[in-house]
Order: sequence, then structure tokens, then C-alpha cells
Amino acid sequence: MKKNNENKLYWRRLDNSAKIFPIAAGKKYSTVFRLSVVLKEKVNENILKKAVIEALNKYQSFKVRMKMGFFWYYFEYNPKDPIIEKEKEYPCKYIDPHTNNDYLFKVTYFDKKINIDIFHSLTDGNSGTTFFKEIIYTYLEMLHPTNFENELRTTRKIDYDTEDSYIKNYDKKSKANASTKKAFILKGKKIKLGAVSAVHEIMDLTKLKSIVKENNATITQYLTAVLIYSIYKANYQKYNGKKPIKVCIPVDLRKYFNTKTMSNFFTYITVEAEMKKNNLDTFEKILEFVKQDFKQKLTEEELMRTMSNNVKLGKNPFLSVIPLPIKKALVRLSYIEIRKYTTITFSNIGRMGIMGKYKDYMEYFLMLIAPEPVEKIKCSACSFEDKMVFTFTSILKDSSIEKYFYEFIKNKGIDIKIESNEVLDVISKENE
Amino acid sequence: MLYPKKMSSKKADLIIGISIIISILIGIMLFVINKLTSGTIQWAALANSGIIYIWVTVMYSINKNINIAGHVLIQTIAISILTLFIDYELGFKAWSTSIAIPIIIIVANITMLILTIVTYKRYIKYAIYQIIIILFSMIPIYLMFKGNFVNNKILSIIAVGVSILNLVISLIICRKDIKEEIIRKFHI
Repeated sequence: MKKNNENKLYWRRLDNSAKIFPIAAGKKYSTVFRLSVVLKEKVNENILKKAVIEALNKYQSFKVRMKMGFFWYYFEYNPKDPIIEKEKEYPCKYIDPHTNNDYLFKVTYFDKKINIDIFHSLTDGNSGTTFFKEIIYTYLEMLHPTNFENELRTTRKIDYDTEDSYIKNYDKKSKANASTKKAFILKGKKIKLGAVSAVHEIMDLTKLKSIVKENNATITQYLTAVLIYSIYKANYQKYNGKKPIKVCIPVDLRKYFNTKTMSNFFTYITVEAEMKKNNLDTFEKILEFVKQDFKQKLTEEELMRTMSNNVKLGKNPFLSVIPLPIKKALVRLSYIEIRKYTTITFSNIGRMGIMGKYKDYMEYFLMLIAPEPVEKIKCSACSFEDKMVFTFTSILKDSSIEKYFYEFIKNKGIDIKIESNEVLDVISKENE
Repeated sequence: MLYPKKMSSKKADLIIGISIIISILIGIMLFVINKLTSGTIQWAALANSGIIYIWVTVMYSINKNINIAGHVLIQTIAISILTLFIDYELGFKAWSTSIAIPIIIIVANITMLILTIVTYKRYIKYAIYQIIIILFSMIPIYLMFKGNFVNNKILSIIAVGVSILNLVISLIICRKDIKEEIIRKFHI
């Protein structure tokens, strides 16, 4: 590590989004997401360890631990090496910093799979993917040195920063656009013993694309509609839901603003489906509604408005001067209420762009988001080559939504198979 | 296979259900023994309160995802001290050392064993608590040979036996984890 960099990274503020995560997070609200890659050969632990340390040297923004300030948390340079071990816990569990030399991410492996669990304070899905890809590239280069000796990647300079792009880009004059309606909350018994179910629905991307095209939609719009329809059929109707099904969809702001930040830089749109009021009782109606809602909400102006409101909240002088322990209590209390405004989150990080030769060693990628006591199911998707993996992480004992989603995609003629951690064994057995 | 083998939700429910039934049966059995032996002291009620207390603690710890073993240990010691204190206050008839504490130890050991099975937790993480519970379980042996602390030795002997059995079963269940941990910690 260069001295300049070391000094610069010795401590830094958390970005505007990151500030709230450590305050609100706990064992029940881990705010952790996971990225996994399934390789074609078994993982070598020793090489993986070396690869992570090497990747950390390049992406020093991850080589930090979190410290408590008087008003806010902050990041500090972490001189230790992270611990890499075999996967044993359920995915996306709260990362206890003491178990990982104070790191805010955890790399684990199992058989042919490498995972990285990242605490959202550290970064978002986009930058997490960049760092994860660096680990995988380095791992493969170390494992097969002769195959990659001519790769230009190894000598390319990595260009990034850790600026708070929220502060740089937000509009001080924008006005609130948040919905005031509470959302339908998924009902049903929870899985015991702190278990988390992970169900991956792996589908043929080419066929999915053609169906999506026939419907003049995007993949995210189509899958959002299928998700709403599945919730409607498998949970909403069963429990006679009245409130709207609200799907929170994170949006990467790097596409809209010029930035190289490795910190968080995302906002979200909320698709608000009033099932009864808008008579959304068929998939076709839901898809049309979702397309319209996206059209209205996925605009630079709307995104700017949502982002700016969140920045203003983070910069609120009254909130800022409250000492951290009191702030923590207040934020946690208010979060009990805030969480009631979302039914489910669906994050699509899109295509995992992997360079030429490296692709040959990979099967597919997975993304998972930690479910919470209120948002009992969270969904995520990512694609690699000709496969799209839609993942449900759930603490609900009833897997009807996952099953309904699976049946729907299958009935559309799309090849689909399920992989899971078998916590909810109904799906795995039916899939056999 | 993408994930390490974990217990399915149904299996976990089944084990918890069976454990609850066993606890209830033990509770009923204790009452019957209490009635048949000496009806004057309601020691079974105290021991059953201990069982309920541990169940509440375990379910709370699991739901909160906190260090269950540490909680079981603290609660075991706390209830033991409490029963000892009540016995002392009532004129020390040694029911706490002869009956209540051995039963608490038995229940604590069974609880630890169930937790090791159902949570698939790494044994190493629990080992220190397990060892302390086992050491604590040896106290009845000491009391048996020390004055008039124990009137009836049967429960004390059972408690020690259950503790040793717990240790052996836990070692068998978690042998892979222990081996891995030893390799990791002591590699040259």
C-alpha cells in the first residue's frame, strides 16, 4: 500500500446511504447481500486466500473496519487480513466483525462456489460486483498461471475513488415524492432456528429475452410483474390483502451520473400495485401497469428527487448533532414504521460481464439479499452468458410464492431449474 | 450441491416438537415421583419451572440469533444459585443440591445437545461453554462426598452421566468441524 493512499484511506466518512445501515442494522436486519460464482472446478482455499488479499491491495476501499464516532460511524484502515473459510452459516447473515478480523465483508467457499457477503454500508451491488470479479479473476490467474499470462488485465491500472456521489450530485431544491400508503406485508409463519431459505430459479436467458421482447417490456419489468402476480396468487388472495403490493427496485445511479465511486451510489423506485383499485387480477394487466409505472418513475428527474430527499435527511442538521447512541435508538424506532412501506425488494444487477478466457471456468453467478422480519422475502437476479438466475431469500415457511413463480415461468415455455439450500424442501423435491 | 447440508424447516420443526413433548413427559414424571416419594416439598414444581425457563431462553436466543450456548450456561448457573438460595432460606433441606440442581444440569445438557443437532452450529464456537457446563455438572460429585449436601445420590450420578454422554455425542456429531478447526489453528 502506498503511503499516500494509506494516509488518504486512514479514515473516511460513510457515504449518505451507508450512514443509515450500521445504525439500523442488527442480527435481524443484517443489510447484507451476497454474490456467488459457481465455478467448473472445486475451490482451492489457499489460492482463494491469496487472491482475496491481492484483490484487497488493489481495492483498498474494502480494506477498512468500522468505528463508532460521536455522531456517526466511520471507516478506518484495517491492517489485518480477512479470514477466508468454508461456508457454514445461512447466506446473508449478520457479519459479526469480530469473527472476520473486523472486515465488513466475508469471503467463503463451498465445493465449486465462492461467496462474498457484503455489509451494505461498505458498498452497493455494483461496486461489490467489481470487487468480487477482481477476486475471481485473480483467483483464476493464480490457479492457472499459464492460461492467463498474456492477459492485459493484470497490468491495467484500476481507476476508482470513494467520493460520496450523493452529496456531489443531489439537488437541494427537490421536493418529496414518497408514497404515504403502507404496503401489503407478506403473511405466514416464519422458519424457526434463524434459518434462511435460498431458492435459485435458473432460467434460459435467450428464451426469456424473446418472451420479454414479445411483450415490449424489459427483463426487470417482466420479472417484477411475474413477482407481483405470484404474490397476488400465492399470498395476497389467501390472506385477503387490502393494501397495495409495493415492490422496491434499487437503481444504480452510475448510469445517470458521471462517477467512479466504489461507495454506495444507488436509489430506488417503488412499484405500487393497487390490486383491487386498479383491477389488477390478471398477469397481462399487471405487466401493463408495471410498464407504465416504470415509465413514470424511472426517469432522471424522479430518481434525482428520491435520491435528494434521502440526502437531505442524512444531512439534516438536527439529526446530525444527535449523539450516535441516541440516534441509533431513534432510527431503529422509526425504521419499525418505515419498513411497513415495502412488500418486497427485487434487485436485478443485470449481466455479469466477464472477460474472454475467464468465462470458460464459470457456470453461473448468484445474487442474494438478506430477508428481514417485515420484508420476509427478498428477490434478486443476475445473468451470465445464457443463464438468468432469479433468487428468493426467505424466512417464510410457506414457499408458495417461489413455486408459483417457477410454475409461471415454466408454463411460458422457458427452461427453468431450481437449486436451493433445501431449507424449504418442498421445492427441491418437486424439482427432482 | 450449492450449499452445505442444512436441516430443512420441517425437520427442525419436528425436532423442536419432539423435544417439547419429551420436556412435558419429564415434567409429568417429576410430578409423579414427587407425589410418590415425599409430598411435603414440591421440588418437582421448581425443577419444572427450570425446564420452562430454559425453553423460554432457548427459543428467545434462537429467534434473536444470539450466542445460545452462552445463554444456556448463564441461565443454568443463575437458576442453580436461585434454587440454592431458596433452599437455604427455607432452612436447607438439601433438595436444591440433591434434586433441583442435578435436574437443571440434566436439562441444560440435553438442551445443549439439541441445540448442537438442530442449529448445525460449529462445535468450536460452543466448546468453551460446553466444557464449562460439563465442569459445572461435576459439582454434584463434589457435593456427594462433602458432608450432608446430598440426600439422594441417584440424580447427581445421572446428571454427571448425562454430561459425559453429551460431551461424547457432541464430539461425534461435530468431529469434522473439530478436525478442520484443529488443522486451521495448528497448521505449520
